[in-house]
Amino acid sequence: MSEVSYGEVIDYTKAPPLVQGNPSLATIDDSIARPMEKLPNKKFFMALSITLTMLLIGAVALAYTFYYGIGMWGNNIPVGWAFDITNFVFWIGIGHAGTLISAVLFLFRQRWRTAIARFAEAMTIFAVMCAGLFPLIHLGRPWYAAFIFPVPTQHGVWINWNSPLVWDVFAVSTYFTVSLMFWYIGLIPDLATMRDRTTNKFKKMIYSVLSLGWRFSNKHWQHYEKVYVILAGLATPLVLSVHSIVSFDFAVSILPGWHTTIFPPYFVAGAIFSGFGMVMTVLILVRKIFNLEYIITMDHLDKMAKVTLLVSMMVSYAYLMEPFIAWYSGDPVDWYLVLMRATGHYAVGFWVMVACNVFIPQLFWFRKVRRNVVVLFIISLLINVGMWLERYIIIVTSLYRDFLPSSWHIYVPTITDFGILIGSFGLFFTLVLLFSRALPVIAMSEVKGVTEGAHPSHQIGAEHE
Amino acid sequence: MTTPQNVDTNKLKNLPHSYARTGWVLLTIGIVLTVLSFAFNPKHASFGLIMTLTYVGGVGIGGLFWVGVEYVSSAVWSTAMRRPFEFLASVIPYLILLALPLLFKMRTVFEWTHLNYFKDDPAMIVKAPYLNVPFFVVRTVVVLAVWALFYFLIVKNSRRQDETRDQSLTTRNIKLSAGFMPVFAVTLTIFSIDWLMSLTPSWFSTIFAVYVFAGSVLAAMAFATIIIVLLNEKGQFPVKLSRDHYYNLGAFLFAFIVFWAYIGFSQFILQWYGNLREETMYYIPRMHGSWAVVSVALALVEFVIPFFMLVTKPAKMDPKRLVFVSVWLLFAHALDIYWMVMPVYSSGGTVFGITELAFLVLSIGIILTVFSTTARRNNMVPVGDPKLQRGLEFHL
Amino acid sequence: MSEMKKTSQAVRRLYGVTALFDRPERLLHAVGEVVKQGIKSYDAYTPYPVHGLDTKMKLKRSMIGAVTLVVGLTGASLLLLFTWWTNSIDYPLVIGGKPLFSWPSYVPLMFEMTVLFGAVSTVTALLVIWLNLPRNSHPLHDTDFMKKVSNDRFGICIEATDPQFDERSVKALLEKLGGASVEAVYYEERELTLRETILDPKFIGAIVVVAVLTSGAAYFGFNKMNLIRPWNSLTVQDKVLPETQSAFYADGFAMRPPVKGTVARGQMPYRYASDIPGAEKYMKNPILPTKHVMELGQRDFNTYCSPCHGYFADGQSRLQGQFPVPPSLHIDSLVTAPDGLYYEVITNGYQGVMPSYERQIPRDERWAIIWYIRALQKAQSPEVANVK
Repeated sequence: MSEVSYGEVIDYTKAPPLVQGNPSLATIDDSIARPMEKLPNKKFFMALSITLTMLLIGAVALAYTFYYGIGMWGNNIPVGWAFDITNFVFWIGIGHAGTLISAVLFLFRQRWRTAIARFAEAMTIFAVMCAGLFPLIHLGRPWYAAFIFPVPTQHGVWINWNSPLVWDVFAVSTYFTVSLMFWYIGLIPDLATMRDRTTNKFKKMIYSVLSLGWRFSNKHWQHYEKVYVILAGLATPLVLSVHSIVSFDFAVSILPGWHTTIFPPYFVAGAIFSGFGMVMTVLILVRKIFNLEYIITMDHLDKMAKVTLLVSMMVSYAYLMEPFIAWYSGDPVDWYLVLMRATGHYAVGFWVMVACNVFIPQLFWFRKVRRNVVVLFIISLLINVGMWLERYIIIVTSLYRDFLPSSWHIYVPTITDFGILIGSFGLFFTLVLLFSRALPVIAMSEVKGVTEGAHPSHQIGAEHE
Repeated sequence: MTTPQNVDTNKLKNLPHSYARTGWVLLTIGIVLTVLSFAFNPKHASFGLIMTLTYVGGVGIGGLFWVGVEYVSSAVWSTAMRRPFEFLASVIPYLILLALPLLFKMRTVFEWTHLNYFKDDPAMIVKAPYLNVPFFVVRTVVVLAVWALFYFLIVKNSRRQDETRDQSLTTRNIKLSAGFMPVFAVTLTIFSIDWLMSLTPSWFSTIFAVYVFAGSVLAAMAFATIIIVLLNEKGQFPVKLSRDHYYNLGAFLFAFIVFWAYIGFSQFILQWYGNLREETMYYIPRMHGSWAVVSVALALVEFVIPFFMLVTKPAKMDPKRLVFVSVWLLFAHALDIYWMVMPVYSSGGTVFGITELAFLVLSIGIILTVFSTTARRNNMVPVGDPKLQRGLEFHL
Repeated sequence: MSEMKKTSQAVRRLYGVTALFDRPERLLHAVGEVVKQGIKSYDAYTPYPVHGLDTKMKLKRSMIGAVTLVVGLTGASLLLLFTWWTNSIDYPLVIGGKPLFSWPSYVPLMFEMTVLFGAVSTVTALLVIWLNLPRNSHPLHDTDFMKKVSNDRFGICIEATDPQFDERSVKALLEKLGGASVEAVYYEERELTLRETILDPKFIGAIVVVAVLTSGAAYFGFNKMNLIRPWNSLTVQDKVLPETQSAFYADGFAMRPPVKGTVARGQMPYRYASDIPGAEKYMKNPILPTKHVMELGQRDFNTYCSPCHGYFADGQSRLQGQFPVPPSLHIDSLVTAPDGLYYEVITNGYQGVMPSYERQIPRDERWAIIWYIRALQKAQSPEVANVK
């Protein structure tokens, strides 16, 4: 290794501070609670009107879909899955970063997660909401979704337990439930803090009810922390399982491009990748707007960029393995599909996807890039684009060349397709905006716990029991 | 900077002789058994040697992987425990000695080395540019050389820091390890495709290398855990490690048990569900006759039983439990490799003989011998590492 | 208690004595001292969980994980039982060529159920059993003490229920330990004994309103809305239905006659309709009496013919006179009658007594029935030549 300039000299003997400027605990409360305590400014309403407009566009597109049926979309035979399932997988993926940050990094004792965990968890919940809509929408007659639950039909037939779509329903609903509980459990102390801060009687009532009468008692904290660890322990494999099961939707079929064994971990890595992209996008905006730069520091963004780079490499590994094994398998159909992706009708999408997911994140090898907010923001947007395209490419290119050349059909999305996609973004960002005003966007009690001197220093080799 | 005060300098290069002695005894018996097995049944013995290569190579590269992970993630808690992993990785340069006899025995184990193979199955002819003897040999040599290169570079910096206390060496190793990760992924993939997947040449699975990775890394962690916990409990480790350190070791063992099961199941369910001939040909021999027993046993031995043994927090902190589970996992990993390799040799039913015995004894023997000889020449704790003091102060 | 409630004046009782500290170390020290004094009923209050406090307070390890493990595994077992029962026992259904009990498919579901059961039970157990929440009527609520510990102070509260409790000495102890704003917290007895009554008119009113709204919505949904597009389940579609009008054709019929000279798939023109002599003369049984044909004939005969003609074609009607009893098919004139007669009668009925079976019985099956009738006839009047 050549002697390159390492930038500043890092002192490894000291742990880097997680909160900058060593603020007092009261300051932390004040700055986190500020957005909830004053009336939002004009910018907020402008942003909200934009997102609500997007939501409205989605609502109109949905009304069209439900009235005229899914013939309003570009779907055809053989491309029976297209935008709908692409969006579903995309949003589920966005949702994974939240649980990764709040649960996996928690188990790895990466304490820098505290600053971003709450926001990421909220994004998880909103993203899973958006995701959950798409399978329903795809039914065309969403009220028939009841048939997916394990209730026998009038002929006594039960649901098909062998179907990954059934597994999906179990996985996504479990994921939503557990994420919601995890988020809520984390919110309870902060809601109690808000209850004690507020002077507004109406707000106080709401916060009292939501905080369940939390009293900051240490006898409570003890069990609370234990439950937090347990939930993190449950949520971590849950994250893996949910996107693995989403990948089973594709991989258990024997369609070339779908049926490959690396799909489960590959989808999980891709989900974390896209989720981190989205969390970065939103956090960079939030820390700027709410002046939270001293809590969500440059170090946080730097670390997120590193994690993003890591998962980008995992995704790249899958991109490498798929064509290699397709070739190695000696199956001409598999190999044809690889060539078709790279050169066929959707080749542009494919190469944009490769550029966004494989090549552009390689810029994160450079410290300067990781610490430049503008570049980070642009790259995070590109990652979102790349990962959306990835699902689109996986779904559409595998379908549009059916086994029989007579069935080949190009898929072209319609304006309704785009309307629903825009609507899902509208829903997501509306919820994010409302959340940022209604609840503490950063976990106050957790951030207090990672300030300097928050914990009495430990004796070396102190035994725990 | 001086040596951190908690480090007992007398114990730095003082691994008890019993380790080396056990290692040499096992190694000698292992070599004798291997020679005997070659005398009785060269084909069977060659398969046995592949198992040994996979086992030793997996533990070695797994050790280097953990060292790299520590650097890349800037982990603090494990600093005091990094050296045992480095010593495990010191088997890497010797791997070529295990691979060499096999390179001369390729025709007995690899079906695709026979000319008829591609003739009989024309669909397989596309693989000929990859599956041919010269390219195979080149790949093996390159992979082992790259591993050795990274091993020497990373370990050299780490050891030099013991004397110089230079913090920039840590920075350099972080960069080296970051570069090592993608290289590691590609090389381990090549290694597992060549030595394990191509034993069944028409079979393929994109996740296979990840499966090998999970098992190897788990075994490396188990091996290091045994030694660290044993030394620390007997007061032979140069620093005092707390239960919190044990907890992390246990947690990583636990995590990788689950990860291994997850990857193994993912591969199985997709090929079982797809039900394509070219994929199920791997599982059909393993799900019939006595191999079915091994398959079920493998799931129990490497997942279910250790999972419940480590699931609670006190279990992960209990030294006796940790050592027991780790020893258990070493055998579980051996069973895993046996399950991957041996059905190719004997698809009709399980075999157990001198070869399998030689595999177990030789693998443990090589690792223990190389580990203890390296350990006696180097510091057991990276005394110059700037993160050492923080690592010792680690608490949950 | 009930007497106190009656008094209009609120009874104030001492809950305990609180003190605040500005650093976690001080709290830790204070807790250690309090434990040394042998005080049992006390609790520490911190804005975030402080490390080392559990050890100082000598709290037992939280056993809530047992709930997760037990209930989680129960969830997995229940799912496995349920899938096995539904697909192997209740309605065995082979899907995709997989075994009825295809366990690999159930593994992902078992995992999900473990997590769902485990997580929901743990959180419920934590809140309801371990922490006894929700509870918004605790004496410490709305005190200055609570407002401080929820922000940036570290508090301790020694409760009056402790056997050693003595307000003055406890206050002195806490002040000695460096506690700021040492205060006694009181509560009104009434606060703790407040109970909602189920017969509250407001509550009943709310139930009535909800009931009316739900019934109204259900009525509208099931009787009105589900007839409107798109909720009408595609019962109204852009296509012509039989026997409706169509403005497109000059004759106004939506249904069209088949094109001249064409026949429907599988249909054979039959030219001897109501022409018994013609049928007798020209129709021949076109199929061979194989075993399969005989079995088919027997099945169809037993289904369609035997109710009136009897299982042995002997006229033993099972309809007990509700229908004219037909003659036995074993009379000489019918035994010698050609196949064409039978075919014509099955196809077009007989003299308004026997209906036409053209719709019910396909052509080949009619001939199979005729073979079967012939077999019955031969069985009724055995001849030496027929016995082999």
